[in-house]
Amino acid sequence: MAQITYRQALHDALREELLHDENVFLLGEEIGIFEGSYKITAGLLQEFGPRRVVDTPIVENGFVGMATGAAMLGLRPIVEIMTINFIVLAMDQIVNHAAKIYAMFGGQCPVPLVIRTPGGGGQQLAATHSQNLEVWFAHVPGLKVVAPSTPADAKGLLHASVRDNNPVIFLENLALYNTKGEVPSNGETVPIGKAKVTKEGTDLTVISYSRMAAVALDVARRLEEENNLSIEVVDLRSLRPLDHETIISSVKKTNRAIVFEEDWRSFGIGAEIAATLQEEAFDDLDAPIKRVASLEVPLPYSKPLELATLTGAKQLIDAINELAPRRRRTAS
Amino acid sequence: MSEVNMPRLSDTMQEGTIAHWLKKLGDEIKKGDILAEIETDKATMDLEAYEEGTLQKILVQEGETVPIGQAVALIGSGAADQTQAQTETSDAKTGADGAAAAPTKVASLPSKEANTQSSPAQGQEQSLPVHSSAQSTDRGTIKASPLARRIAEEHNIDLQQIQGTGPGGRIVRDDLEDFLEHRSSAPSTPAPTPVASAQEVPTPAAQPSAPPDAEVSKLSRVRLLIARRLTESKQTIPHFYVSSEIDMTDTLALRQTFNATAGEEGVKVTVNDMIVKACALALEKFPEVNSTIKEDQLIQYKHINVGIAVDVPSGLVVPVIRDTNNKGVRSIAREAKALIAKARENKLAPVDLEGGTFSVSNLGMMDVSEFIAVINPPQSAILAIASTKKQFVPIDGQPVIRDLMTVTMSADHRILYGAAVARFLQEVKRLLQNPYSLLG
Repeated sequence: MAQITYRQALHDALREELLHDENVFLLGEEIGIFEGSYKITAGLLQEFGPRRVVDTPIVENGFVGMATGAAMLGLRPIVEIMTINFIVLAMDQIVNHAAKIYAMFGGQCPVPLVIRTPGGGGQQLAATHSQNLEVWFAHVPGLKVVAPSTPADAKGLLHASVRDNNPVIFLENLALYNTKGEVPSNGETVPIGKAKVTKEGTDLTVISYSRMAAVALDVARRLEEENNLSIEVVDLRSLRPLDHETIISSVKKTNRAIVFEEDWRSFGIGAEIAATLQEEAFDDLDAPIKRVASLEVPLPYSKPLELATLTGAKQLIDAINELAPRRRRTAS
Repeated sequence: MSEVNMPRLSDTMQEGTIAHWLKKLGDEIKKGDILAEIETDKATMDLEAYEEGTLQKILVQEGETVPIGQAVALIGSGAADQTQAQTETSDAKTGADGAAAAPTKVASLPSKEANTQSSPAQGQEQSLPVHSSAQSTDRGTIKASPLARRIAEEHNIDLQQIQGTGPGGRIVRDDLEDFLEHRSSAPSTPAPTPVASAQEVPTPAAQPSAPPDAEVSKLSRVRLLIARRLTESKQTIPHFYVSSEIDMTDTLALRQTFNATAGEEGVKVTVNDMIVKACALALEKFPEVNSTIKEDQLIQYKHINVGIAVDVPSGLVVPVIRDTNNKGVRSIAREAKALIAKARENKLAPVDLEGGTFSVSNLGMMDVSEFIAVINPPQSAILAIASTKKQFVPIDGQPVIRDLMTVTMSADHRILYGAAVARFLQEVKRLLQNPYSLLG
């Protein structure tokens, strides 16, 4: 298997989907001539021409609405929103139209629409350009939300998203674009709604997604080597639908859980997972579920303040040290 | 009204028989009172009360046998003992017989009186504020994780006996595992022994009789349990002993070759690992040794799980290598090494100690010529390994130096006889003198 970047994996998936189905087309700001702000669509305009790779004006609500209409009429649009921060302008089209049309019109008209957009902070892009707004979409019935952490899952889930007949919010992360990993070259899909245990363990479970799932895996491997702690890591991969079975069975094994998320803590993904765990695995819990998330302030521009605000490996390690069962802690 | 259940008094116990009721209907019961004597698969033990009240109903008569967990009696609150309502469980409060009226009366009691009703442990801490002692004895306010509560329920453990070590004193799984470990390493005592009355301060029994020129210390729980267990073994199992001298020259040579090729990552195999393997293979051939007696039944185990006696600061433990016969010597070595390390750090889990069907005790590294071990019940045999020594042996009429080792088997004469043990030892000897057969 080839080692490629997350960026390349997305590019390859888009290209393969364009080749696979002529109803697939891309649209978004600066994705054609400029080849995308993050170069995901590099070379695609040249290869597929302006009917398949459409540069749009700076009107998010307009072109998401256009894509929704195209999807209703049988095309399979893939929209790029330059960053998730600009998606707020398109909320009406996403929440009130794309998410609802299939149900409101008695299932006559599916909306096979994909909206790709990167979130995440840490690039000194300040408060309005560094957000993690996934929970807004994960809250809405009618949408699917995926948030892969590896190049392989990025490619597999993008294939699956394009072929899904529902609107899918495909969440990327600025800090993941250059990460590398092995990716199968056969265009295999990764099922939407299926979490993955990326590392098995017995002492506690860290549940995460997107970039923090990658950080969690790294931390878990380090702690196993250095402290002899056996941490299980669950990468959710999909936020909606949420894979209850995998997180429940993991917590039934380890009895302790941390949800590790880059978004804000209140009303976040962690809140949803903690509620799910106490509903479905109450008698298996040996400690309250911990949420490790970013500080609830608009993200500062200043580098030291940005670092202090965003969650990361250090916060996760502190939480693990607090939550690990006593008998295992003294074993280290 | 609360139930008194048949307790689990040993790790092999499935059911118990009420031998005698020591309390009658209507008797007033204090915590720690002995209600009855129970016969288990091992011995006769006491059934202690963990609740206070009046013995209201006897559900299981003398001579009757019931599975663990089944209710054998009911303890309720009589009209006469209102002061005790404070320490009763919430179930008791919702029960019948005027119990509902009691709490309101208790509330107006002077604090001193209420305090005398607290559990034995708190009886010694008279300075505690009343509300805190009442709180910790009320099951409703014990802080415990949901998982801890579930484990306690499954194992019939009263959470009041457990000291929580989680945040804010919460009882967590670790605390129950600690408790269960103590209990399983010494099946004969299910719980810390409550003193008969809260007012009596227990005097250390050893002190009055201590000679003036000796240092007296109290036995730790673990050592107390080991003492009881071994006494029980030697008193109830008719031991007999058979020794054999085994030529270890070839085994030592094979081990050397084996370890020389282990590489840096490989675990070094010890002589003991090879003896353990030989025993496991011999047990496969002579399954009658891999068995136990239970009342009028002979139970032959399907699995061969050899325990290895490990010397630890707190006494002696026997962790178990499961399915020993199916494992290669290298796997046995790896497992044994891990178990011994855990034992030394006092980190063995109950599961590491359970299920043994045969034991090996090795003092070979301590220069002993021979010794006899005590059987580890419910097993029926244990093999004691002495040091290997160079000795002249006549081979073809010539004195040749060979490495000889004496082993002595202790066996349960109720189910094993001299010839059976001798045949077993012959097989162990054959395997160790032809050590390539251990590598199969």
